[in-house]
Amino acid sequence: MARKQSRFGVSRRSFVGGAGALSVGLAGFPAILGAQAKAVKVGLIHPVTGFVAYNGQQSRLGATMAIEDVNKAGGVKSMGGAKLEALLGDSQSKVEVGVSEVEKMNEAGASAFIGCFQSPVGIAATQAAAKYNTPFLIDVGASDQLVRRGLKNVFRLKPGFGKCVDDGIAALGAINKGAGSPAKSAVIVHESGEFGTGTAKLLAGKLPSIGIEAKELIPHDNPTRSFDNIALRIRSMAPDIVMMSNYGNEYMLLARTLFQQKVELKGMFSVLGGGFNYKFVKDMPDVSQFMMDTNHWFNPRSEASQALKKRVEAGGALFTFEVYLSYTNVMLLADALERAQSADKEKLIAALAASTFKAELMPYGPTKFVDGQNEGGLPAVMQSLKGEIEVISPEQFASAKAVFPRPKFT
Amino acid sequence: MSRRAMLWCAAGLLVAILYPLLFGGPSLIARSNYAINVAFLILFAAFLGQSWNIAGGYAGQTSFGHVVFFGTGAYVSTILHVSHGWNPWLAWPVAIASGGLVGAIIGVLSFRAGLRGSYFALITLAFAEVFRIVANSIPQTRGGLGILIKADQRPENFQFRDPMWFYYLALVLCVIGLAIAWWLTRSRFGARLAAIRENEDAAMALGIDVFREKVRVLALSGAMCAAGGTVYAQKYLYLDPSIAFGVEKSVEMLLVSMIGGAGTIFGPLIGSGVLHLVGEITRDLGNVVPGIKNAQPLALIVYGLILVVIVAYLPDGLTGLLRRRR
Repeated sequence: MARKQSRFGVSRRSFVGGAGALSVGLAGFPAILGAQAKAVKVGLIHPVTGFVAYNGQQSRLGATMAIEDVNKAGGVKSMGGAKLEALLGDSQSKVEVGVSEVEKMNEAGASAFIGCFQSPVGIAATQAAAKYNTPFLIDVGASDQLVRRGLKNVFRLKPGFGKCVDDGIAALGAINKGAGSPAKSAVIVHESGEFGTGTAKLLAGKLPSIGIEAKELIPHDNPTRSFDNIALRIRSMAPDIVMMSNYGNEYMLLARTLFQQKVELKGMFSVLGGGFNYKFVKDMPDVSQFMMDTNHWFNPRSEASQALKKRVEAGGALFTFEVYLSYTNVMLLADALERAQSADKEKLIAALAASTFKAELMPYGPTKFVDGQNEGGLPAVMQSLKGEIEVISPEQFASAKAVFPRPKFT
Repeated sequence: MSRRAMLWCAAGLLVAILYPLLFGGPSLIARSNYAINVAFLILFAAFLGQSWNIAGGYAGQTSFGHVVFFGTGAYVSTILHVSHGWNPWLAWPVAIASGGLVGAIIGVLSFRAGLRGSYFALITLAFAEVFRIVANSIPQTRGGLGILIKADQRPENFQFRDPMWFYYLALVLCVIGLAIAWWLTRSRFGARLAAIRENEDAAMALGIDVFREKVRVLALSGAMCAAGGTVYAQKYLYLDPSIAFGVEKSVEMLLVSMIGGAGTIFGPLIGSGVLHLVGEITRDLGNVVPGIKNAQPLALIVYGLILVVIVAYLPDGLTGLLRRRR
């Protein structure tokens, strides 16, 4: 029997079949739409212009790389694969601009913030975020005031300057003792802001405990274009050690000036020396040779950190501390989102507060936040040796032994 | 002021009063604390610019270090509040008086020494630097560590949870600044300042006590600027020597007045509006330029170019342009 065809050449059976398939498709479409989880917006506030622009750009690089990695790995799985979306902000090193960025990003729907490199900007920006109960992760920012104000929304994974000074002084004491205690005096040169002054005061207070007298604290402004006079003053005081706590440009300039003026020292030691990085060590191997720094550093024995280092360097950038600290903070946030199963701010803060995140890149123990400060954070002591940066303390992460005292110029 | 101008002013004030009701509080359109924050920054910078304008624009006493008064006000109220337990509202008048006093002292020292023009501008810069170094060194200011004001967001504590109230505070200050500027255009004091600005020797020959008038205007300007310092400290709750006495604030005060039109009533307000809006727009521009990963420096170049064009082609500022068009 011949099948009855319609005028348009479509049989009744195929019409019913097609209509059925279409209705199933239409019914399924909203389900597919529903499965596309809403992106979680993360506000990144860094000083990408201004006198610490390089540091801010490095932080942004690390954070955006981490967001890419989280998204490539399928996003936040407990939230249906929700992707992270970066909201990029520039604080311009100004307090009021940092706050303005918080307000703007809050309206753009930021679920969390990461920033701000400079402590004064961080102090004001975290307070602004606290109004909205939005979590704020301090990726870089040394001041301990950032986490001592009772703000429930602020979390800092890395150690503050108090911990860095304690560990740095302990390491310096051990190195000095191991060499027969040749160092008896020190001069501390620091930038005059909150970070440098706070660190210098703590250093001066702790140095006597390892048998070293702090002869003088010399503050300097940001930016400082010449350290000639300070170098002459240091030479006249003839300390055994020069300790530095300042931002990148001034750090390198002071080191170069002391080298050029051949100021004899037993060692140069910094805590959170802003300029102690691969750029400095590669560009000025003679100047940096034997300098020591206590700072945030990646775990050189971690495969993940070595792989990230290669990726960053392949892109033409340097693997500075801002990169891996910001990267790690995005991972900390992703971990908290995973456990909170929601971008709800209250739940996210609770998940961060209870975090036991293992920072794979860093030489840290499991995360444990007390009043917003991670107690598991650990700084490393490094030394520049033959154009490389070697970890000399803590011992379990060390890649070389310290050279102290340094050889004389003559 | 003509009837038409008064109507324009009243309309402008009405818009300014209604603005937060549109963007904040019980919002009619959409709540935007960001929009309120930007408006606060415009009004606040306009008020600080007006304080500079009173001395620099009306009296011709160009200062490069006006931040000295801002920092004085900020530190006096903050120290009284944090270290001595004063209520910040009570500390505010003391801070204003301190700014006036510092203005009078700097005026007496500078004008007694006969400093004028660029020499006076440079000495004010030097005073600001001295204050910054002192603030960096003495324990009362906690040096470079800065002073953190405890967050306690209650109006009786001069802290507001809703940014709308800081906006209104800035609006009141701005209106007071405009009223003072308007008064200067009408009063004998203002006329004496104009005479000093145009030709100091001629003003002296006319019998004006130039020294006294210049000290008075600097004290008035200093008191205004100090009032702004306290508001800043209470809004951002943190103060250090670079924030309080940093040269950027002096430059901003000078810039808003020059761009808007120095020696005019509305110059600082117009200049501040343009400066901040251009700043906000170019800052966003940095994130949207296609093909460039980090375009933020480009945004600063655009910002700088706009300023150069304004300064190069509008020597009397934007108010001068409006006057010419009329």
